[in-house]
Amino acid sequence: MMKWVLFVPELFYVSMALVFFLFSLRKKVEQKLLYNTAVILGAVGLVVTVAFARQHGMLFFDAYRVDLFSQVFKVFLALGTFWVIFACSELRGVNPRQHSEFFMLISICTLGMMMLVSSAELLTIYISIELSSYALYLLVPMRRISGDLYVETGIKYFMIGVTASAFMIFGISFIFGVTKSTYVADIARVLPTVISEPAAIIGLILALCGFFFKQALFPFHSWAPDVYQGAANQVTTYIATASKMAAAAMVIRFVGFSGGESSLLVQLLITLSIVSMTFGNLVAIIQKDLKRLLAYSSIAHAGYMLIGILCLSERGFSSAVYYAMAYLVMNFAVFLVIIMVAEDGRNLQIKELAGLHKRSPILALTLMLGLFGLAGIPPTVGFTGKFLVFAAALEKGYLLLVIIGMINATISLYYYLIVIKAAYLLEPVNPYPPVRVDGRARAMSMVLIVAMVYLGLFPDRFVALTEAAARSLP
Amino acid sequence: MMTSMEMAQFPILTAILMSTIVGMLVILFIPGDRTKLIKQVSLSFAGLGLILCLWLYYAYDVQKGGLQFVERYLWVESLGIYYFNAVDGINLPMLLLTSIVLFTGVWTMWDLELRVKEFFALTYLLVAGVYGVFMSMDLFWIFVWYDVSLFPMYPLIAIWGGTRKEYGAMKLTLYLLAGSALILPGILYLWAQGGGQTFDLFELQAMGFSPLVQKVAFIMLYLGFGILAAAWPFHTWSPVGHVAAPTAVSMIHAGVLMKLGAYGILRLGMTLCPEGLAYWADLMALLATIGIVYGAFVGLAQTDLKYVIGYSSVSHMGMVGLGLSTMTVNGINGAVFQMFAHGVMTALFFSAVGYIYDRTHTKMIPDLGGLSKTMPVASSFFIVAAFAGIGVPCMASFWAELLVFISAVKTYPVRGIFALLGLVVSALFMLRVVQKTFYGEKNERWAHIPDVPLFLATPRIILVGVIIFFGLFPKLMLDVIQSAVVPFVSSL
Repeated sequence: MMKWVLFVPELFYVSMALVFFLFSLRKKVEQKLLYNTAVILGAVGLVVTVAFARQHGMLFFDAYRVDLFSQVFKVFLALGTFWVIFACSELRGVNPRQHSEFFMLISICTLGMMMLVSSAELLTIYISIELSSYALYLLVPMRRISGDLYVETGIKYFMIGVTASAFMIFGISFIFGVTKSTYVADIARVLPTVISEPAAIIGLILALCGFFFKQALFPFHSWAPDVYQGAANQVTTYIATASKMAAAAMVIRFVGFSGGESSLLVQLLITLSIVSMTFGNLVAIIQKDLKRLLAYSSIAHAGYMLIGILCLSERGFSSAVYYAMAYLVMNFAVFLVIIMVAEDGRNLQIKELAGLHKRSPILALTLMLGLFGLAGIPPTVGFTGKFLVFAAALEKGYLLLVIIGMINATISLYYYLIVIKAAYLLEPVNPYPPVRVDGRARAMSMVLIVAMVYLGLFPDRFVALTEAAARSLP
Repeated sequence: MMTSMEMAQFPILTAILMSTIVGMLVILFIPGDRTKLIKQVSLSFAGLGLILCLWLYYAYDVQKGGLQFVERYLWVESLGIYYFNAVDGINLPMLLLTSIVLFTGVWTMWDLELRVKEFFALTYLLVAGVYGVFMSMDLFWIFVWYDVSLFPMYPLIAIWGGTRKEYGAMKLTLYLLAGSALILPGILYLWAQGGGQTFDLFELQAMGFSPLVQKVAFIMLYLGFGILAAAWPFHTWSPVGHVAAPTAVSMIHAGVLMKLGAYGILRLGMTLCPEGLAYWADLMALLATIGIVYGAFVGLAQTDLKYVIGYSSVSHMGMVGLGLSTMTVNGINGAVFQMFAHGVMTALFFSAVGYIYDRTHTKMIPDLGGLSKTMPVASSFFIVAAFAGIGVPCMASFWAELLVFISAVKTYPVRGIFALLGLVVSALFMLRVVQKTFYGEKNERWAHIPDVPLFLATPRIILVGVIIFFGLFPKLMLDVIQSAVVPFVSSL
């Protein structure tokens, strides 16, 4: 029975979903009560996950692996969930009658992702990824705001997602065929010996498609701009942070267990990474809608993260984990500004940020640091992430890849600067209403600003943590 | 290399760095409408930095040479990053230059009205980066500070700038960060080739990289830093950026920031990749010579005072590059001295033009004319700077240019002579500008404008004083520089 200790964070999110399920059964729910419950439960969830972060062991006939790597990502996920709930406040832009469902689905989705990062067996992985995906398929069209983009968005997301899942399960069948096992540990033992066989490579790549889809890596990116734009700001925040986190964890695990260096696999990943970075950055330049811009930038960032992963070294994996963490923090910062500025839950055009430095200096500063971080400018956490990823790549001798990555970072700076220019330089054409920044938002901004600079300048302990996590990979 | 005694002393380098960071934080916490207080606080923090740097310069033991005031702590264990600050004869003049330019720059911006708080906070952030690059001896930190010094330029130019400010700001930022897109891979490449254990400059130097690695790394570092040093053909951001920037930013930018580029080539490229330098020195000398001649000729055709200075900077920074590429004691001595002299000189140039522009709202040479009759003091500052630019004896730059050209003509006779011709042309255009702007018919349009009040003249007088002081006593600086350059050249 002691083993159930390993499963406590997941159980907590199950019960959290149940609580909101009960809320959703009631005809009328006090908004304030619902929101406060969500915040408290989210905070408790974070505390619980942190408290169980040092556990390790196996569960469910070894299909479920709890190690430092999975627990670190669970902490990120719990943090992401808590942060999204905390930032939501009034959930404008989401149909008021569905607020309890919103929180329920967020809990289920977090549960699915937590299971995902711990899964050590292919079918468990598949089930977890579907559990989280279905929650997201429902969350995306929950938006109620003028225009009916959200229906189209929901369907599009669903269709592409299901296709990616089909690819994935097809790939899993190949892997099973080659290795005669669905257990990652067994596969990891057998796969290096057969990695040069076409069936193994195809299986691995097809299975990776499912994760690449979640990560919005080129060519599985096409949902990202529409979903970012079409979903409610809070849901987009969740997709951009927590969901990306889980996908990154799985790509690392999956590529990690392929073990032996298959040059074909590495070549393919290098290509995907370069195309993803370049495509994402170039298309982002012409965007007018801030969320759409961030969607394309997220495609580029998936490419940067892949650089760390394709090194297939411990330093590479740990740098990717660090990068994922950095990306989480920076996206929180930018999306917090979006949620706060677009108070009624509309989409935010870049030009609507005009004069933000006067309307709310603290949000403008948060936005600037977040965007400079995304562009990889020190002393922010984004720079340190890029630095680690590129260092890992150069240790493997991928000089050209790093130069391409850096050129891409320079390109990305251009469009981030356009947004910063809007916030700091442009005078608003028609007077936008002042932004209401309450104590909560102010505190969140402060925490993010400090976190971004602190993680950028004092990375030692966190690098050590990510390295320990990477070492715990099977 | 260092004793525990030295480690235990007061961390003066960190204190210099902190004088800017704390200064920035203090400014951020002052309410934005108390502009007077903000300016006073800014000036006192800049003064603190100046005093510390002067003391450092005085306390540096030239006889002993080498690294002094060392502060070295492990920062990130798994990558081998150290917080490693130290001074030697090369960065000591640079730190002094930075503090002088910051102090006078803040002072010349006393009349600023627009978004005062943000201006000084960003300026301090920028200068923190500059100090950091000059004092760090760890590749990671050099890069971090380098980027920190670049990105505040964007808002500084785009908000407070003049002519085509948004274009200039964006061009400058993207150019310079494109440069760092080469520097970072270069640094990491050397780190990885050195076994991925340390970013400590001197540990890496001791490893001795293979010739191929050195060639590859040097060209990346040279091109990356060369953009900031305005090496031809990567200079085009520089005149545009200078023209667009507000006075103090032009001063800091042309006076100090461009030196970061040359310093980076010297400190990283040449120290770590001497064989790479030997391989690429020809190219470096060629680009530098073209820069000198090209800057002078293009400067000849300009009608905007700031463009004139911008192109003269391209020309003068070419001399730095030429001096470095000779790989001789005299050449590098001259180059480092030229960095200092040019820094002070352009700061004076821009602050002189800044005053004229603030009062007349034009910096077009044809519109001015005869200014020496209406504002003799303001004019004299520009004229002194112009003489310094030409390299008239008794000015600091005279010695610098002399040293560079002596060794350049020896090492690269043809290029050296071309560069000398460039110097003649630049003398011609400087004198032409001086004549057209300050002499000739008195222009009645400007007759009502008062001359520089003493308060605003003081920072300019300080700059003139520095130029003439080191022009009369060059030994005070050359001894310091030489203490680092002689062992450096013998190790090449």
